Amino acid sequence: MIKFTDLTFRYSLRSQAVFEDVNFEIIPGTLTLVTGASGSGKSTLLRCINGLVPHFSGGIIAGKIQVFGSDPIAEGVEVMAHKVGFVFQEPESQFVFDVIEDEIAFSLENAGVPRQEMERRIQEVLQMVRLSPLRKKNLSEISGGEQQKVAIASALVTQPLVLILDEPTSQLDPISADEVLKFVIELKNHLNLTVLISEHRLERLLPYTDMILNLNAERRAIIGKPQEILPLMDQVPPIVEIAQRLKFSPLPLTPATFPQVRLAHKPINQIEKHCKPQDSQPACLEIDGLSARLNDQLILNDVSFNLHRGEILVLMGPNGAGKTTLLRSVLKMIPHSGKVTLMGADTDNLQFAEIIQEIAYLPQNPNDLLFAESVIDELKITLKNHGKDAEGLDFYVFLKSFDLGHLGDQYPRDLSVGERQRTALAAVTVHDPRIIFLDEPTRGMDYDAKKRLNFLFHHWRQLGKAILLVTHDVEFAARLADRVVILENGNLMFCGAPRTAFTEFPAYQTQTARVFTDTGWITPDDIPPDLDLQ
Amino acid sequence: MIHSIVWMIWLLVVMVFILSTRNPVYLSLILVGLLFFGQSLAREKKIKNWVLANLRFLLAMILLSTLINGIFSHVGQTILFTIPQKWPLIGGNFTLDSLVYGAINGLVIGALYILFNVINLALSIKQLTWLIPRAFHPIAMMVTISLTFFPSIQKRAREIKEAQMIRGNPMKKIVDWLPIFIPLLVTSLENAFLLAESMTTRGFHQPIDLKAPGNLVSLILGAFFVFSGWILQLFNYPRYLSAPLFVIGFGLILLTLMTVGKHSKITRYHLEEWKPMDIMITIVIVLYLVLFIYLRWADGMPSLNYSPYPYLSIPTLQTIGLLFCILPFVPMIIKRHD
Amino acid sequence: MNKTRLLRLATDLIVIFLGLFSLASPFFFTQARDIDNQAASFPIMVSLIILLCLMIVIFEAQTSLLDSKMIAFLAVLTAINAGLRFLENAIPGPGGFSPTFFLIILSGYYFGSRIGFLVGAMTLLVSAIITGGIGPWLPGQMITAGWVGQSAILVTFLVNKFAWRGKPVEIILLSGFGGLWGILYGAIMNLWFWPFLGAGAGQTFSHNAGALENLQRYVAYYLATSLVWDIMRAVGNILIISIMTASVLKVFQRFKQRFSFQIQGEPEQ
Repeated sequence: MIKFTDLTFRYSLRSQAVFEDVNFEIIPGTLTLVTGASGSGKSTLLRCINGLVPHFSGGIIAGKIQVFGSDPIAEGVEVMAHKVGFVFQEPESQFVFDVIEDEIAFSLENAGVPRQEMERRIQEVLQMVRLSPLRKKNLSEISGGEQQKVAIASALVTQPLVLILDEPTSQLDPISADEVLKFVIELKNHLNLTVLISEHRLERLLPYTDMILNLNAERRAIIGKPQEILPLMDQVPPIVEIAQRLKFSPLPLTPATFPQVRLAHKPINQIEKHCKPQDSQPACLEIDGLSARLNDQLILNDVSFNLHRGEILVLMGPNGAGKTTLLRSVLKMIPHSGKVTLMGADTDNLQFAEIIQEIAYLPQNPNDLLFAESVIDELKITLKNHGKDAEGLDFYVFLKSFDLGHLGDQYPRDLSVGERQRTALAAVTVHDPRIIFLDEPTRGMDYDAKKRLNFLFHHWRQLGKAILLVTHDVEFAARLADRVVILENGNLMFCGAPRTAFTEFPAYQTQTARVFTDTGWITPDDIPPDLDLQ
Repeated sequence: MIHSIVWMIWLLVVMVFILSTRNPVYLSLILVGLLFFGQSLAREKKIKNWVLANLRFLLAMILLSTLINGIFSHVGQTILFTIPQKWPLIGGNFTLDSLVYGAINGLVIGALYILFNVINLALSIKQLTWLIPRAFHPIAMMVTISLTFFPSIQKRAREIKEAQMIRGNPMKKIVDWLPIFIPLLVTSLENAFLLAESMTTRGFHQPIDLKAPGNLVSLILGAFFVFSGWILQLFNYPRYLSAPLFVIGFGLILLTLMTVGKHSKITRYHLEEWKPMDIMITIVIVLYLVLFIYLRWADGMPSLNYSPYPYLSIPTLQTIGLLFCILPFVPMIIKRHD
Repeated sequence: MNKTRLLRLATDLIVIFLGLFSLASPFFFTQARDIDNQAASFPIMVSLIILLCLMIVIFEAQTSLLDSKMIAFLAVLTAINAGLRFLENAIPGPGGFSPTFFLIILSGYYFGSRIGFLVGAMTLLVSAIITGGIGPWLPGQMITAGWVGQSAILVTFLVNKFAWRGKPVEIILLSGFGGLWGILYGAIMNLWFWPFLGAGAGQTFSHNAGALENLQRYVAYYLATSLVWDIMRAVGNILIISIMTASVLKVFQRFKQRFSFQIQGEPEQ
């Protein structure tokens, strides 16, 4: 049993507490979902359970914590390591060793477990996560999902009572994320673990959640059954949103439990989204028969599609389908065959400097770009790179459209994850490129950050910019795609209307589409307010 | 795979032999043996041009030392030509003897270099980290993590470079590397923090007793004993004075490290097994060593002490000496035999 | 002065004294090198003594400095620096141009002498392991690179004394320091090879050949071999440090608080 009594914590140099007077009790063997906006203190709260807070992080803590008979504040992390296993968000930064079995052995080595016992436990835990054949493999050679499974195995090898996972799937694609979470559920049941997991993408876990612990903006915590807490939360998955709109009660947690919806009559305002949204708009980027190789492997095979002004094109596909390779080929970072026409000119005849004048690129890690002292300095640097004059440019006005108007003088790395991403976006678009490439921008973002990104995209579309968005996030894409392209194994599988993509391909179906079949609705916003139900 | 400690023993004995002799024939034979052995290891690891690269260094070394010794040292009987004395430092006789002496120097250092290169081939990175004594577990951990992080840092650097280039960074001057280095540094340090969290969560702790300065003091004492022994030896004080100092010094250090190692409750997952092959190699090498020490002590093994001074001569050889030149081949032969 | 500080001071002094002495010993021990056999084992003994010095420093650091945060911190800095070493071939700079030193100097300058020492020594070790280039001169390389970091504290004293932090003088000082070490490093490393190559061991010296004449010979030897290389390295250091320092120090500043939370004993600065 885990019990928090009047727990208050703040960092030494800050006056404001991270959370105050937190009280809750967690029953053994349950799965508790921990939610709250980014920066709300979820991570800090979880770290109190195994003692990382305050022993590792510093700070001032008040109140009492009890974890299965131990007091983490008194005992410290090393003692708590026997009872609590912890899985972190970034797979790669957790690993000490390069080989899987060594990594798993690490906890046992620290605990002084004898070798025979070590071998037995490692075998056991590898079988549980079904990675036994890979045990001698290098951690860099396996996928993100498998890496997290190794992290889970490393945490479980000491046979803890509690397993805590801090946003374990935020860096993973949906398929891997599902796999990892499925495992967590399996392991919880098999080993009778008490699991606490913090996640933004609640939809996957809701069916298995016993309790939700929510940290709200007032730095208070509330805990209760999902049905009780969901109505109180600001950010809910689409299913719940729909249910709330249709005033269903109790709230269904999955499309499966969603009551069969039969519409009184066929909906009249179907949203039509054409494949070529604005025929009047010229194509600013034409890709024709693009093929590319990497290390003698054919990554892209004869891909063709166009990108028009004022259009948001979403590029989807499983990992390794060639999406990032496509972006890099267009930017002439890797050799390719086929023709790419940018604003009417063949890129083979263009200099790299000319290409990047028109195309901006947001990498998967926006942090890779930030190095200046202030947001505005970042903007100035890009302008200087492109040989543009910074005089007379009103940076504050420019930043306002990125929701950063008041943050111009801030040190970029002090900002929140979403703010940093938008800073990077501002920095790469300040020279007014016509085309913007974004590579997985929604990774690790909470709903609020995604919403602001959504606004930004619409703003750009109004300005006539063309956006090529690579993402796994189906719900996010459904809300703003004008067209969808799906790549698989380097081949173009689909190019067409979002409505088709998000309803007819099972891998890309949105929750709305799963509930309202045959309507073409793909987001909760598509549902008319005066819906007639049977 | 041969046990790493066996390799260390082999390294030690071969090194002792190389350092005990200035006989160019012996040295050349050992060199050839090492190159041969190294080539077979390199072939296993699919490394090309290993012998060539090492030969290149060897020749450069020999050339350098020959010339330098020839230029600066003016002793010897076989005079080639003379530079007027009034030239500072290099004035004097330019003798063949000193050239030969220099060449031998080059052979010694070349042999050491190639010997270590063979060890580099023989031992895997993992084995190298396992050799670090348990008393140094924290630093061993640091080295391990460094090696683990190295490829991902390289990858990250490439990604950052790409992203900044697309942003317009011309990548021409040193200043243009700042936008790559700084994000790399910041991101890596942030990852370091996350890693430390992950380590601590899994029970990593400082194993060495903080409050016992005794260990450090005894290490320092041990070092001083060794140092004094060395000084005495340099000043040609008799062996029976310097040797005990060495023994006490090393003994103290070894004892301290072993005690500290025992105190740490950390266990190790990987254990290298002593295979019969390992034991055999060890026995053979130890026999060599014992024989060597005995012969040196008994009759001095005169063929080892070749010198071009005071006059050039042809180096003498003893069959025993030639036997020792086979040392490099011992692991190879026994391994093949296995 | 309490026990820990005393021990730490002792360790620092030993490392400098024993190490330097061992390396500089050829100048003083002319007579010792008369015996042929000695000359060959000389560098190995020097390496051994240096190895013992390294062991002592690392041991001391383990008991007081190396908790999980510091280990991760050092590991990452070392990995970055080892990577920089490979850039030596990639950057189209002058030969001998080594970007490895600036991070060592700045770490020592900002975080203290021991961290500077460890970053220096460990960078050499890790890059040797990665390249499979462990040689008998590795201890010499490690301790010299360690000294580069350790001695940066001299600059810290100066800057603190005259309150030069944040001023251009700070960068000039550090650049000059880097330039100095560019040459000094090569000079010290050559000391290891010196007994082999140019000491002229094995023959009788003229009897008034003392330390001074040996020094002369050494300088001549050094001039002939690596001075050009080292000057380029020095110039490279000056350039890199003057460009990178300001930004890197700012990064260090932001991380210092996070990483120094649980350092045992007094803070470095």
